[in-house]
Amino acid sequence: MKKLQLGVLALVICSACTESSKEPIVWKSIEKDLQAQFILAQDGDVIELPEGNFMFTRTLSMDGKSNITICGKGMDKTILSWKNQTEGAQGMQISNGKNIVLEDFSVEDAKGDNLKVNDTDGIVLRRIRSVWADGPKTENGAYALYPVLCKNVLMEECIAMGSSDAGIYVGQSDSVIIRNNKAYWNVAGIESENSKWVEIYGNEAYDNTGGILVFDLPGLTTYGHSTKVFKNTIRSNNHKNFAQKGNIVASIPPGSGMMILATHDIEIYDNDFKDNTTVGIAIVSYELVAALNEGEQEREGSIGGVQTVNNRYQEDSLYNVYPYNVTVYSNRFKNKHWFPTTQNDIGKLLIMKSAFSPPDILFDGIADPKRAERNICIGDNGKITFINLDAGNDFKNLSKDVTSFSCK
Amino acid sequence: MMRFKALLLFLIVLGCQPNKREIVVVEEVSLGVESSLPGNSTLSSYNFFKGELKNLEPMSGVVHYELNSPLFTDYAYKKRFIKFPENTAANFSADDVLDFPEGTVLIKNFYYPADFRKPDENIRILETRLLILENGTWQALPYIWNDAQTEAYLDISGKSIDIRWTHDDGTTKEVNYSVPNMNQCKGCHLRGDRVMPIGPTARQLNGSIRGQRQNQLEQLAALGLLHNLPPINTVARLVDYDNATEQLDLRARAWLEVNCAHCHRPDGPAKTSGLHLLADVKNPFELGVGKPPVAAGRGSGGLNYDIVPGKPDQSILYYRIKSDDPGVMMPELGKKLVHDEGVKLIEQWIRQMK
Repeated sequence: MKKLQLGVLALVICSACTESSKEPIVWKSIEKDLQAQFILAQDGDVIELPEGNFMFTRTLSMDGKSNITICGKGMDKTILSWKNQTEGAQGMQISNGKNIVLEDFSVEDAKGDNLKVNDTDGIVLRRIRSVWADGPKTENGAYALYPVLCKNVLMEECIAMGSSDAGIYVGQSDSVIIRNNKAYWNVAGIESENSKWVEIYGNEAYDNTGGILVFDLPGLTTYGHSTKVFKNTIRSNNHKNFAQKGNIVASIPPGSGMMILATHDIEIYDNDFKDNTTVGIAIVSYELVAALNEGEQEREGSIGGVQTVNNRYQEDSLYNVYPYNVTVYSNRFKNKHWFPTTQNDIGKLLIMKSAFSPPDILFDGIADPKRAERNICIGDNGKITFINLDAGNDFKNLSKDVTSFSCK
Repeated sequence: MMRFKALLLFLIVLGCQPNKREIVVVEEVSLGVESSLPGNSTLSSYNFFKGELKNLEPMSGVVHYELNSPLFTDYAYKKRFIKFPENTAANFSADDVLDFPEGTVLIKNFYYPADFRKPDENIRILETRLLILENGTWQALPYIWNDAQTEAYLDISGKSIDIRWTHDDGTTKEVNYSVPNMNQCKGCHLRGDRVMPIGPTARQLNGSIRGQRQNQLEQLAALGLLHNLPPINTVARLVDYDNATEQLDLRARAWLEVNCAHCHRPDGPAKTSGLHLLADVKNPFELGVGKPPVAAGRGSGGLNYDIVPGKPDQSILYYRIKSDDPGVMMPELGKKLVHDEGVKLIEQWIRQMK
């Protein structure tokens, strides 16, 4: 009898264990000591994070410090997780700082944003991996790396994955470099929002809903302009949109390589666009986004007259709804997809209007009543497909002719 | 044999963590760092109280005060004092926190009676927070009480304490109460890059201590501790949101101010959101009416506007205050439990809005 039981037991062991070959992670807590170190740090301190897996229950925060370096033993070796978080939405937060360097560790699974930096002049995020480890989910936090209202920002060699909004994000900031990072499985891979003097180069954005976004939105503390996007690889950004509704990125159609929204003085060159099923680069005004959302609303028959975007954007008198001074040249486009996707409104529209492969460059063609010459210039990008939607006139003069946009 | 089987079972459990993401044990380890702490290490050393510390019997120069509308912190009771340095006084300020003299200490004790229906008996004090004005800057220091209730010790990294009580309605409630760490203190008290008190504004003090009659501002002035107080009928007043005889709009705005506006104000930590909830904000858009979220993430709950008049269930603000999920809930700090009474008040307020 006992033998039988043991036999059954052994069977259970075998069948139950085939799936897991990995050792369970041994989590430790350094929360109390590390938070104390963050609070008591003196000008010039280097705070070293040990190797290991560390679990946090609260936001780990540093406020009002100068010239601090926080470094781990490598993004695969020092793992900080907020999987057990019970309070504070952020994982790590740096605020009101000056010259802060974070490098060589991972942040995971915060309830809100994984790593937020605000009101800081001089912030470096280097070799930080910021992920929601279970992969893309609507329940994940919004931003993996999230400097906002900062000056002199450098993010390099970081990895962002799983954000329900943007993986590598910068907002309302001044003088920013985002280079040599990887972003995948986010709604937006890399996003610069209402920021100025931004350079985004050498990055890989793949398998997101949208690869790289440069947005200007109404009603915020500051407006964006002057951004260069070059030498990036933007491929297969066809992931289904898993953003929480109500957020602007919820309106990004899957298959969007790059989207330039309502901003100006933008240069896009020397990038590789590959296999994005809706569009390579879309240059659009806020009006188009608003209109697309209205369509969505009718279809779903939502009640209460609600919209997913700011329908009061006209009230922001300083906000310019239309993109201008946008230069696109020397990019390479490749697409193995023969037709645009039918999974979203823009894709369907493209199929309906002209059944060619997903356009490499799209302009919404909505006229700015105040600015006749918009300086949208499409230089030599090899053989490309282009479409001007003329969306303001119900697509009446939809055109594939790029010559009227050639650079002067 | 039995023992062998038990061991085997144990091995199964250990070896078969089906998901490497499952969190097994979290062992607390020290980083072995020693640093000198700011402030005194014990509460008693400040000599705010006479007799047994836990009786919170103020020394002379230490004045008890109450706010018309206090912040909700998991139903904790609070007893507040101001310590004025000798021969000093605060200056009246119409809109903001009173202008306190150098050396002022604001003392806030958090406690739970075992039975809320007998609030003066079987009291357990959890923590005392000090705001000390030194060299023109306020410093926030949290002290945690020992179980014997004989002393409270400075602890800059906070603590979680399990607490259970009998509520006003006779039900048992419990919470894993959170003593904030020093940065969490700042999380609410920052104004720009400076720590500021939140509670003792003229509007909050314009009323009497519960069970007493005299107006607190007039009392302070009479004691020589408040200068330049204008006639009391010209001073603005924040209503008590619990007082059902006050207007609904004023009560709701008072609740939003004390629970939200320490961050949601033009110079507060939530300024990036553009949602401003001070009680004197007039612009409905700034208050959230028809305002879409900025960076709410899943905090939006799939809803599109902070407030949809007449429709609390479609309002993000309502969705977030009635949540206790750390990734959704508002306020972000000092709350593990939902403030049912406050949530009801805001629901009524949005429902009657046109």
